[in-house]
Amino acid sequence: MIERKKECIAMLLAGGQGSRLYVLTEDTAKPAVPFGGKYRIIDFSLSNCVNSGIDTVGILTQYQPLELNDYIGNGQPWDLNRNFGGAHVLPPYTRAKHSDWYKGTASAIYQNIAFVDRYNPKYVVLLSGDHIYKMDYHKMLEFHKEKGSECTIAVIDVSDSEATRMGIMSTDDNMAITDFEEKPKHPKSNHASMGVYVFTWEVLRQYLIADEEDPSSENDFGKNIIPAMLKDGRAMFAYPFQGYWKDVGTLDSLWQGNMDLLDPNDPLNIHDPNWKIYARNYASPSTRIDPGATVANSLVAEGCIIRGKVVHSVLYTGCVVEEGACVTGGVIMPNTVIKKGADVNYAIIGEQCVIEENATVGEKPDGEDPFAHNGIAVVGHRKTIASGAVVKAKEII
Amino acid sequence: MNMTGIIFSEMYGEDLSVFTHDRNLAAIPFGGRYRLVDFVLSNMVNSGINNVGILAKQNYHSLMDHLANNQEWDLNRKNGGLLLLPPFASEAVNQNNRGKLDELRNALNYLENASTPYVLLADAYVVYNMDYRPMLQAHIESGADVTIAATRVEDGSAAGFPSVFQAGRSGRITSYALNCTARPGDYAGMGCMIISRQLLTSAIREYTARGIYHLERDFIQHQFNRGQLSLNLYEFKGVCLRIRDVDEYFNNSLAIINEEVGGPLFRGDRPIYTRVTDEVPTYYGPDCSVSACVIADGCSIEGEVDHCVFSRGVRICKGAKVKNCIIMQGSVVGENVELENVIVDKWANITAGAELKGLATNPVIIRKGATV
Repeated sequence: MIERKKECIAMLLAGGQGSRLYVLTEDTAKPAVPFGGKYRIIDFSLSNCVNSGIDTVGILTQYQPLELNDYIGNGQPWDLNRNFGGAHVLPPYTRAKHSDWYKGTASAIYQNIAFVDRYNPKYVVLLSGDHIYKMDYHKMLEFHKEKGSECTIAVIDVSDSEATRMGIMSTDDNMAITDFEEKPKHPKSNHASMGVYVFTWEVLRQYLIADEEDPSSENDFGKNIIPAMLKDGRAMFAYPFQGYWKDVGTLDSLWQGNMDLLDPNDPLNIHDPNWKIYARNYASPSTRIDPGATVANSLVAEGCIIRGKVVHSVLYTGCVVEEGACVTGGVIMPNTVIKKGADVNYAIIGEQCVIEENATVGEKPDGEDPFAHNGIAVVGHRKTIASGAVVKAKEII
Repeated sequence: MNMTGIIFSEMYGEDLSVFTHDRNLAAIPFGGRYRLVDFVLSNMVNSGINNVGILAKQNYHSLMDHLANNQEWDLNRKNGGLLLLPPFASEAVNQNNRGKLDELRNALNYLENASTPYVLLADAYVVYNMDYRPMLQAHIESGADVTIAATRVEDGSAAGFPSVFQAGRSGRITSYALNCTARPGDYAGMGCMIISRQLLTSAIREYTARGIYHLERDFIQHQFNRGQLSLNLYEFKGVCLRIRDVDEYFNNSLAIINEEVGGPLFRGDRPIYTRVTDEVPTYYGPDCSVSACVIADGCSIEGEVDHCVFSRGVRICKGAKVKNCIIMQGSVVGENVELENVIVDKWANITAGAELKGLATNPVIIRKGATV
């Protein structure tokens, strides 16, 4: 028998509902929500894995997995169709004893210990499929090894007010973690956890088993596993990350994340040929812009047809903007049609919607600044807004 | 599907030699993100054909690179799939292309081992979106030896065609001419025919053994004139663009900007597949002006563009004015450049301030990788 093994594999938590995205995650898991014209949120974590040299990714799904399963397929778009390794979708399953849903993030990994063991890895990278960022996990792994760490948590420095909403690490001068607090009222540091961890598998494995046996545990990494390791004085370090990192878990932040891509100095730089973001591609033709159309300060994906006006907007694959229709500050998800004379301002429109003729969605801002709006209007996937109807700012349909 | 597809990737390359220095005809970029071969290949896939052989003789690295593992066309199959068929080294590789029968002889093994009763022969220089299944049905029902797809010629003043037919009401071809002009009401071939595999393989063996290599002239026309081959015409009524020289390339590339041409070509129920390169969506700058354009992904448009077709990753810098141009992958048009009636091949760099103007009837061509 050939004992093949991997040095490092990734486990990607993609089972979250993302309830603060309301209608956009009613029948789709948050990682499958479209982002940035042609991507889905999970593409960023998956592409980071591949670009960091990690070729084995277990994707843990639970909430509304259909679209995500379909999207991942055999992993080919991310070069994750491998003979040994590759992308594996891991839903909860029934067993002879103790079958259960994934009760928490730790339980999701616990239930897939057999999957991880199959690759016999020294390290496991734990990720969430919820964030937009580019990060070299390999560098973080090197840091983990250099420090002799057993658990390394990536941190980004945030402002005091943001820190009260996040998991905050206190560290010593050597970046060793001395304290961890979830959503502290009075944060002791500005190092916020990014939800990116490197564990030494042998150590994590023990903690997962112990945690599962503890009936009082919520089986959550942030609430149980990390505090338990800290209490036992395990070698834990914070890995400082600098760069763009955005949680697009709310409607406002999802809209803002899209608008950030229009910044000429786009801090994320999705254009970097050395760190491509991969996505599943559909056979759409090139975008056609007809005479009389206006397109300015916008990102437009493939397969769109534009006859109207599109300004400060992100148009996803296969959208149509008809004559006299006007889209300003719009995030228009795939295959949506904006019919003649419709007016869309500062809105997120879901996939495969139809905005009928002369309908109005959202409101124009009062002042000069195109990005200072009165609130985002949101239309869920596969909805039709009737001819002449009005959807106000901040309304969610 | 009881038909095998064969694509000729080389034919008519000579008049497009400016584009075929380091690629063959089938790999010439077209329509933004596509290569010419994508059209016939996607038609075959969308018609349920899953055995496709591509005949290639020269400069086919670019084509191989484009097809890669065939997975974008769903032709990475265990049974069948896509096979590139270059010549055998022993078969006088250095000789010029002697004819399609010569090329087909290299694929004789492939054809003899195919399990389908019919073969579809298609040239890569014709751009159209067609379901071959009704054509096969018509072929079987007609009982003819060969069925040839053709478009009706409406305008008699048009340039010549490689093949021109007249046909009776039943579709039976009554006259077959090669390389001549057509009158209104005649039919022009579109480089696409269905023939039984048995008849094709025996013709390949018989004719090439006698040193005869021209498929249309020496086999089909010759046998037809002797009354020994019955030909059936299958009229195609959709959009059909022939790309045989620079003029046709230029005009037909720009033609797809019109919805009447581009719409039927890129229809949702029969998509045209192509290689995926993971480019980002195209960025349109705050001061750009775009009218009547077809633009692929990964471009950045900051200047003024009118009536243009851009492939992937084209950059139009601020102050540039680009009109009636075709710009291929990765080329950069610098600040304040003015271009009109220009075809820019891949990875060219038009430096700031340059001014290039061709005529609509005679566009300026910038070679691959050139700096102007």
